[in-house]
Amino acid sequence: MSIILDQSTRVLVQGITGKEGKFWTKHMIDYGTNVVAGVTPGKEGQYAAGVPVFHTVKRAARNAPIDASLLFVPPRFAKEALFEALEAGIKKVVILCDGIPLHDAIQMRKAAISAGAMVIGGNTSGIISMGQAMMGFFPYWLERVYRPGRIGIMTRSGSLTNEITAEVVRAGFGASSLIGIGGDPVPLTRFAEVLPLFQEDPNTDAVVLIGELGGTMEEEVAEAIENNVFTKPLVAFLGGRTAPKGKKMGHAGAIITAGKGTVKDKMIALKNAGALVAERPRQVGTLLESILASKI
Amino acid sequence: MKLFEYQAKELFEQIQIPVPNRRFIEDPDGIGEATNRIGFPCVLKAQVLQGGRGKAGLIKFVSNMDEAYSQADAIFSKAQNMSGLLIEEAVQIEKELYVSITADPVTGTAMMMACSEGGMDIEEIAKNIPEKIHKINIDLSEGIQTYQVRGLLYDIGIDDKLIGSGTKILMDLYQVFRNNEAELVEINPLIVTKDEKLIAGDGKISIDDNAIFRHAQFKVTRAYYENEAEYDAAEEGIPYIQFDGDIGLMCAGAGLTNTVFDLVNDYGGTVANYLEFGGPNYHKAKKAMEIMMKNDIKVLLIVTFGTIARADVMAKGIVEAIKELQPPFPIVAAIRGTGEEQAHELLRSMEIEPLIDTEQAVMKAIALSGGVKQ
Repeated sequence: MSIILDQSTRVLVQGITGKEGKFWTKHMIDYGTNVVAGVTPGKEGQYAAGVPVFHTVKRAARNAPIDASLLFVPPRFAKEALFEALEAGIKKVVILCDGIPLHDAIQMRKAAISAGAMVIGGNTSGIISMGQAMMGFFPYWLERVYRPGRIGIMTRSGSLTNEITAEVVRAGFGASSLIGIGGDPVPLTRFAEVLPLFQEDPNTDAVVLIGELGGTMEEEVAEAIENNVFTKPLVAFLGGRTAPKGKKMGHAGAIITAGKGTVKDKMIALKNAGALVAERPRQVGTLLESILASKI
Repeated sequence: MKLFEYQAKELFEQIQIPVPNRRFIEDPDGIGEATNRIGFPCVLKAQVLQGGRGKAGLIKFVSNMDEAYSQADAIFSKAQNMSGLLIEEAVQIEKELYVSITADPVTGTAMMMACSEGGMDIEEIAKNIPEKIHKINIDLSEGIQTYQVRGLLYDIGIDDKLIGSGTKILMDLYQVFRNNEAELVEINPLIVTKDEKLIAGDGKISIDDNAIFRHAQFKVTRAYYENEAEYDAAEEGIPYIQFDGDIGLMCAGAGLTNTVFDLVNDYGGTVANYLEFGGPNYHKAKKAMEIMMKNDIKVLLIVTFGTIARADVMAKGIVEAIKELQPPFPIVAAIRGTGEEQAHELLRSMEIEPLIDTEQAVMKAIALSGGVKQ
C-alpha cells in the first residue's frame, strides 16, 4: 500500500517527447508505473518510450481513462499545462520543473484548491511509492536510498532527501511513499495536506519530514499534530538552522524574513507538538529506532 | 531582484501614486544643481539595497548648500554598493502608515497588508502587536475590488477625508504588483502630510526572478550585488553567498547545501562561501570552481547527492576544472547519487578520495582548514 500513487494508477505524461520526458518515462515504466499516454501538441500518432502520444490532454483522456498527470514542461508553460489537466478532470498532478513564476504559482494553487485536485510541486523530484510506481525522477536502483518499508517521507528538498532517506535505510528502515512537495515558495500541496493520507495509510508507521527554513509549512504540521489530525510518530529534520537572517539560501522558498520562518522557530513548534526533531541527518535513523519496535 | 528606492518611485510615479519631488545623482558633483531644483530643506538618501539606512547614517536632512555638500560627500564615501544618491523634498509629516502586497502561499492569493503605524519599527509591531496589521486577500483572476481596499483602510482607522485618495493609491499599488510580477511591493512609510495628503515616503519592490524573462525592462547590473563573485554567480544563475570563514562549500541542492552549512558550523568550522550548483546548474562545475576561487578559501568541500543532477557529470566538470584552473586549496568530495560509480572513478584519477558520508566529509574539511575555531 502507499498514498496517492500505486501500480493501478493510470498516468499521463505531459511533455513526454522531450529528452528528459522520454528518458524518465522509460524508467517509470521499468519501475512498474502504469503510464497510459503522453501529450505533446503536434505529435499525435507517435510513440514515446512505447507510449502513445496525443495533441491534447482531452484527446488522450478520450482514448483511455487517466487518473494522474506528470508534467515534464518548462516552468513558463507549467500554468497552462496544469489548467489543461484540471479542465480534463484529472485530480492528481505532479509538476517537476524549477522556476515557475510566482504569480503563475499563486493562480495554480488557487485553481488546484477550486478543482479539489492534489497538485504536487513544482521544483521537486516527484513522488514514489516504493517498489510500485513513481512519477518523477528517482534513481530507484540506488539501494542505499530507495528501499521499501513502512516510513512515509515528505520533503521540500531533492538532494537532502537522498541524504536523509539514506540514513533511514542505514538504520534498517525503508519508505512506504516518498512525497516531494518541492522547494518553491508556493508549494501547490502543503505538508499538512499530505499528513492525513499518511495517517490513513495502514502501511505507514511513522513519517519523516524533511523541511527547511522559510515559510510556515512546518508550523502547520506542528498544528496538525497538536489537533490530533496526525497521531503517528513524526521525525523531522530541517536544513538551514544556522543560516544568516535575510539571506536567500538557494531555494526561492528558503528565505528568512522579519523573524519568521527560522528553523529554530520551526524546531520549537514541532517539539512542543510532540514531534521528534533531529539536529543532524544521522539522528533521523536513531530517533526512528527509539520509537519503532519493528523495522520492516 | 530588489529594486532601488529611486526605481520603485519611478514605477509609482508612472502609475500616478504620489511621490515627493526628487532628483537622482550618481556622483557628488551633481549635488548643487539637484538641491537647487528641489530647494531646502531636503533629504539626501543613499540608494542601497539593505535596510536600516536611517540608523546607518545614510539618510540626512540638510537645510543649506554647505550641509548638502558635506553630507553628500560623507554618504558617498561611507556607503558601500550604492547606486547613487536621491535628493528629495522634505515632506511635512503628520503620521506614517504602512502598506504592502505580497503572495499568500496558503490560499493562493495576493495579500495586501496595512498598518496605522508605519515607519522604521514595522517589524517590531509585526512581532509584538500583530493585530495592528490588517490584511485582505485578492484573487488574481478576479482582480482587486475597491470595497476590499476601502474596508482595509477603514480597519486601520485612517481619517475619512483620506479614504478616497488612499483607495486609489492601493488600487494603483496592486497594478504595480501585478504588472511587474513583483514578490513584494511596499510603501513604508505612506506619509499623511500636515496638509492632509498621502504621499509615498519610501518604496520597496522586489521582482520575481522567475518572471524576469517577461519583463525586459529590468536589467541586473553589478550595482545590485555586494561583490564581484556574487555578480558573476548571478549572471550564471548560480546561487552564491560570501562569508568570511575558511571552508568553501560547493554543494548541489539548496536543502543539502544548508545542511552542510549547519554541520560545518556545528562541528566548529567556518564557512568562506556558499555555492549551489544543483538543479539546472549541475553541468556548470567548472564555472562554479572559478567563482569559488575568487574568494580566499583554505579547503573546498564538495557535497552532492543528486538524482537528475548526475554525479558523473558533476565529477567530470570538477576534474576538468582542477586540470584547467589548478586550484591552490585541497578538495574534499562526497559526490553521490545517479552515476556515482563513474564519479568515484573520476575522483580517484585526480587522487581525491571519494567519500560517501557527509559528516565524515565535513570533519575532514574542518581538519584540513586548520581545525576547530574557538
